[in-house]
Amino acid sequence: MNSRTQKLLPKSIRKLVHALLVSSFVLGSIQAQEVLNMDSLATSNRSGIENSLQGTVAGLRIKNWTGTSGVQSTLTLRGLSLDPTNESTAPLILINGVPILTSPSSITGINPLSYYSPDQVERIEILKTVDQLAPYGIQAPNGAINLIMKSGKVGPLHLRGSASVGVNLLNNFDSSKDAFYNFNSTARRKVFKSGSIIHDQSILVDGGGDYGSYLFGMNNHSDEGVLKSTKFNRQSLFLNAKYNITPKLRAHFYNNLALTHRNGRYAGEYDRTFKVPAVEDESYFMDKKRNVAFLSSLGLSFQLNPKFSVQSTAGISYEGASRDLYIPSNILSGSIFASSEAYKRQLITINSYLNYEHPLSADWDMNLKLGHEIRATDNRLTSVDGSRSLESGGSNFVKVVTGYNAYQTDALSDHAKENLIGFYGIGKWKYKDDLKLNIVLRADGSSLYENKWSLYPSIGFVYSLANAVKLPLSFNASIGRIGMLNRPQAYNGELTAKGDYYNNNYLGIGTLYPAFKNAKSVDIFEVDAGLSVQFSPSISLDINYFNKTYQHFIYQRYLPNIQGVDFQYETGGSIGLSGFEVTLNGSWIQKNHFTWTSNLNLAAYNNQVNKLPSDIENTSIAHLKALSSGDAITSLIAYEGTQQKIVGNSESKIFGGIGNSLRFKNISAQFLFNFASGADIIAESFESRYDATTIDGQFPLKNQETPFYFIQGDEKALVYQGIRTIEPGSYIRLNKLQVIYHLTSLFKNQQKIEDFQLFFRGDNLATFARYSGVNPEENIMGIRSTSLGFTGTPLPMTIALGSKIVF
Amino acid sequence: MKMKIHYKLWKLIPMVVLSISSCTDYLSITPDNRTEVAEYYNSAQRVNQAVIGTYVDLRRALLTNHAWLMYGEARAGDLTVEVGYQALVASQRLNVDQYNLNQISDWEYFYDVIASANNVMEIVSSADPTLLTEYQHQLYLGEALALKSMAYFYLARIWGDIPSGEASDLGQKLTSAEAIDRAMTFADKAKELLPWMLLNDDGIESTALTAVRFNKSAATMLFAQEALWAGKNQEAETALEELSADEAKLSGLGLSMGVDRRTDIPQTPLSRTMVSMPLDKLNKIYPVGDQRRSSLFTISDGQSGATLIVKDASTLEILKLSELNLLRSEAAWKVGKVDKAIEYMLIATEGSTEDYTTLSDEAFADALLLERQRILVGTGQRFFDLIRFGKISKFVPSLSPAAVENGATYWPLSAGSIRDNALTQSSYWSNQQSQ
Repeated sequence: MNSRTQKLLPKSIRKLVHALLVSSFVLGSIQAQEVLNMDSLATSNRSGIENSLQGTVAGLRIKNWTGTSGVQSTLTLRGLSLDPTNESTAPLILINGVPILTSPSSITGINPLSYYSPDQVERIEILKTVDQLAPYGIQAPNGAINLIMKSGKVGPLHLRGSASVGVNLLNNFDSSKDAFYNFNSTARRKVFKSGSIIHDQSILVDGGGDYGSYLFGMNNHSDEGVLKSTKFNRQSLFLNAKYNITPKLRAHFYNNLALTHRNGRYAGEYDRTFKVPAVEDESYFMDKKRNVAFLSSLGLSFQLNPKFSVQSTAGISYEGASRDLYIPSNILSGSIFASSEAYKRQLITINSYLNYEHPLSADWDMNLKLGHEIRATDNRLTSVDGSRSLESGGSNFVKVVTGYNAYQTDALSDHAKENLIGFYGIGKWKYKDDLKLNIVLRADGSSLYENKWSLYPSIGFVYSLANAVKLPLSFNASIGRIGMLNRPQAYNGELTAKGDYYNNNYLGIGTLYPAFKNAKSVDIFEVDAGLSVQFSPSISLDINYFNKTYQHFIYQRYLPNIQGVDFQYETGGSIGLSGFEVTLNGSWIQKNHFTWTSNLNLAAYNNQVNKLPSDIENTSIAHLKALSSGDAITSLIAYEGTQQKIVGNSESKIFGGIGNSLRFKNISAQFLFNFASGADIIAESFESRYDATTIDGQFPLKNQETPFYFIQGDEKALVYQGIRTIEPGSYIRLNKLQVIYHLTSLFKNQQKIEDFQLFFRGDNLATFARYSGVNPEENIMGIRSTSLGFTGTPLPMTIALGSKIVF
Repeated sequence: MKMKIHYKLWKLIPMVVLSISSCTDYLSITPDNRTEVAEYYNSAQRVNQAVIGTYVDLRRALLTNHAWLMYGEARAGDLTVEVGYQALVASQRLNVDQYNLNQISDWEYFYDVIASANNVMEIVSSADPTLLTEYQHQLYLGEALALKSMAYFYLARIWGDIPSGEASDLGQKLTSAEAIDRAMTFADKAKELLPWMLLNDDGIESTALTAVRFNKSAATMLFAQEALWAGKNQEAETALEELSADEAKLSGLGLSMGVDRRTDIPQTPLSRTMVSMPLDKLNKIYPVGDQRRSSLFTISDGQSGATLIVKDASTLEILKLSELNLLRSEAAWKVGKVDKAIEYMLIATEGSTEDYTTLSDEAFADALLLERQRILVGTGQRFFDLIRFGKISKFVPSLSPAAVENGATYWPLSAGSIRDNALTQSSYWSNQQSQ
């Protein structure tokens, strides 16, 4: 098989599942539990790298909750918190081992994972067990995903180009199934658009030699989205350069600069009630969201002698997000509103370590690593907004300029800084190919606590029976303690400005909350165990179990009304997450003209409350008061009669994916189903919603609705909100389909063309569910509220045609 | 080349060592978006902010939901406040489950005053000796004590038995009398510490500043009110007699208006038509010819009520200086110095149509009560006066003597107060229908 024909073939196994500690003795490598090769995945047409990972790894849960373009899908990997929507439940995401900003800024909501094109990524390493995560300490309590970017290959210049164009389809879109079930189909036709265009172009140039290697390129991605006039765009430039300064001193420079922008729309995005008869005219409405982001990292490694080496990597992940909003008077019935916001976030990390390798005997090897990591985050938010009533004369547009005056303007500037220092030691011992032992000790100091330091020890091993007993079996287990940052910084207490006095010359201040000396990180104890069986060279099965216990969350305790302050901070609460993950990889047919491989991955999770604070009613987590030990923390809680009770669970119990790769001669195809089961979805009712004062605390039951209701609003105006239905959120979805036709044979005489392919790519092609809405994953909290807060817009089917050429 | 690189690398080592040794500095961030308690009070100006914070707390306690009128006047039924819940208060339906009433029934804001005042005292007493001048030291301590005294006085008058807000016995139940005793002790100390006149930022005596902060005469008036409430008439009389300074230096206490950053309290609680009195009541209280009538109320043609005149919208008077002679008169009368009492009464009631020169001992109480009503209208004293003079059932017929005996003059305890402090509702309020 020459190299040309090799390129024709899809990878024989679309997913490589490595045993633990594979290649662990390579400098700087991460001991990933699972590694995905990006070129062998069916990538997504939608922006956001996470969309290409959906359904590929057991335990990696990615929810496509909205059709709005440029928005991040929710992402968890064995992650949990007292507040399940907390961003700390997301895994740590690294690029070439460097941590990046991951969560979308609150002002633009643009997904930081959309700054990278799947074409840039070589492979993705998934880290789940405690001994793999421990080297990252408090940064990675809930899993880690490391994206290794493509780098230049040895040889003369290579050129890769690809382009695709496609459409978002809301085929057979039934407006009564849309989340706005109190629907207005005329309005919907004006807001939602089927057939909007999506296109993507990228160019990569690379090469390499003794001096090192280089890869640079650019990418353009555009998605008009399903909401009219809300196009999302990304342009990026990137460089991945490695330079061998001397054979022992090497430098690695990576840079990715991305510009993204997305426009918003009033009706359908902010006002989602769509009042009859039609959507207001949106002329002059402006909502411009712009992000500028870059990631730069510089790594230096030096081999002091055959046993000792040092490596240091510094990274800067920066995002400047801005939003300019203007709402004209025809929408706000006579008033105009304008605001401008900017949010600048930066994350600087420096990670250095000394590596020592020492063969203890013919059978035993030892590797020790001592490292030091610094992490500094600095986020600044500035916003100005103002509104005024429209004066006579002038156009709406002119009022943008004259709309501000000092008394109607609010200005806000906020600044949050956090520093972290970690020291770590990693010891690895290896006995032949049979036993691998891994001991990690990390100490993290955080600026958030008065008592800054915590120690995180962990230990893990893999034992293979292949040599000793000739059984194709290996076991692994690990145990350890890790931490999750608890915010806010509360140990010095906080003063508050109470009010102005004496002609507003004096400012009165006082204590907002007293100093909280016991602040500390959330402690997580984790136990992992796994079994890996290689039934034949082409079939393998992995079963993993884990159990995580989280404790010492920070929350507010409301104080009795004679204390003079409203609350103080306190730690407490304990919750748990455990589950099984099963992965089956099969390479069923391997013929010259036909191959078939598949992957099944499945996770069965259970989360539960172990212990909640006593007198929970007087805390900021009072909404959990109906839960007792053993109940899921993701329970959906509602009133029935006067009692609160659990009426469902917003989290799936089982989820996963089934992927298949087929190749017949020059045609290859991949299709991926993903599924989830066991979650419930609550739909609030438009018909039974009552002002508390009118019903005297007695919720009137309604036929054809459930007997359950929520109590919402504030003390001043309580609302009793009836629940129309509680439905199962289970589904199976044909998430991706990719067909590639390799045309390289047409260019037999063109030696320079290595590969030419035409491809078809589809996302979200079909969903099988009993859910009465459009998308069973559209409700982040499991509740389809009447305000549609936390409910996404309809998810479109996206299909695209494209071509790729490699010189 | 190799040597050179080695050499450069070794130079890095001290830097790494340095960076590690500066861990503590690196991990200590002073957030610039927040003001932290630790080490904040490092200047006299900042200690002053804490004192002002206590005034703002008192302002919130008294102004939110027009509470000073709801506690002190609305229940007596003479004044009308243009808010929805006024009718409920006027008809004594204080335990109706209504947002504003629930808030007025809760004493939290008064305890905020106590906690803030105690905080000021701690800041002042633990401050570096060079931080505050002797004047500032005494002023801030005096103000804190007076503010605290006032909060306890309101609490005891509004709710009767209350929990202590002092760190030494926090939450311990004080009877109404014990609470007043405590308030008197604080006011007594305060009046010793406070100056007659406060100095402004330029060090000059300022009438305007003195009028919106506690001073010697305001603290003495507070002390006298408390002593008279407690029946310690001699103490009231003695204290008031000590107020013999230059009349120009005497000052009452008003709360300066301003923006409250925490709650949505009214900045002009006495806006033009907010407080009024029906004409028939006005005519009854201020007979035609009474000069106070037109100086206190605006009577517009065709209106059925007269609106209270707001002379200075920037200040809400809580301790009116014009009460001083009323207090002196009352104290003198209570200790048997009737002539002196009449003397003060005549000064206090200038402009009235009545002739008080021959006031008999028996009629004194009624005259005093009436004059207090006339002069102090709008300062939230009337209902407390009725209690003090034992005339509740006479002027508020819906509150029978038996009801008063069972606690009807007090406000019901809020749900939070009962839950947090192991208290029980008085028999009057627990027997009232909540709707």
